[in-house]
Amino acid sequence: MSYHQDGLLDMVIGLYALSFGLGIFVDKILEFSFVAIMPAIMISIVLPIWIHAKKKITMPRIGFVKFGARGSNKLFAIFLGLAVAGLGVSLALSVFMIGQNGRPVWLEILFQYGMIWIGLGAAVIGSLFAYTMGLKRLHGYGLLTLALFVSGHFLGIPFEYLLLTIGSVIIASGAALLVQFIQRYPLQKGAPANVAQ
Amino acid sequence: MSPSDADIQNVDRLIHEPSRLTIMMHLYVVESADFQFLQNQTGMTPGNLSSHLRKLEDAGYVEVTKEFVDRTPHTALKLTRKGREAFKEYRKDVKRFIGKLPE
Repeated sequence: MSYHQDGLLDMVIGLYALSFGLGIFVDKILEFSFVAIMPAIMISIVLPIWIHAKKKITMPRIGFVKFGARGSNKLFAIFLGLAVAGLGVSLALSVFMIGQNGRPVWLEILFQYGMIWIGLGAAVIGSLFAYTMGLKRLHGYGLLTLALFVSGHFLGIPFEYLLLTIGSVIIASGAALLVQFIQRYPLQKGAPANVAQ
Repeated sequence: MSPSDADIQNVDRLIHEPSRLTIMMHLYVVESADFQFLQNQTGMTPGNLSSHLRKLEDAGYVEVTKEFVDRTPHTALKLTRKGREAFKEYRKDVKRFIGKLPE
């Protein structure tokens, strides 16, 4: 189905990663745990924009479809997954930050490879959504995140730079998909096409 | 055991036609869709799609609702309970007689 080929979902995911990266920068400047409230901010701002964009960009081009109970569950799973992933990352980051000021040994070991764990988590979540939604490119995003975080761990690249990179790449990919989608499904002028004859 | 002619003859021919099967398959996985969505997914011309939809509607498999959304005419299509059951039955039939074929 071409319903998620419009790139809007990618842009939401990319924005999510990007805002976490920016959140960490803000944390460092303001010394306020902005990252912890990021999922709520993202859900309350980006979600309505996404729904509006679907109505204004996607539906007029490919029509309207209601997925019903199974589809709703899938969509709910996406939102829930994004929220849980965001909260998980927030908590991990919060604990990571507290840990720097005298953490237990087990946390020391856990967070020594924190970026690899987060990368693995992203790959698993990406694969889960890719399987649920039938969108193979989500595997790619997950694997990209894993590769970047593993590289970041060994090369000592700060976490926020990796998030900003991943977010930017996914947003760019979403924007490219959106352009392709708009070119592939131009708006029909004249008689509405959503009427049976 | 090979499939008998009766197995194949008993399959729902209204659904078995490729264009209508495509329509039924698309409507089966959603709650409802509009005409434009189905046209995009199936690649049929409006006339062809309308013609097949009419046959499915006449059989009571598809419910067509015409309404106005934001002052724009809109046709919502969904499988009726009868249509959903017929598709399930068709699917079972096809699986049964194809499953009987030797490797």
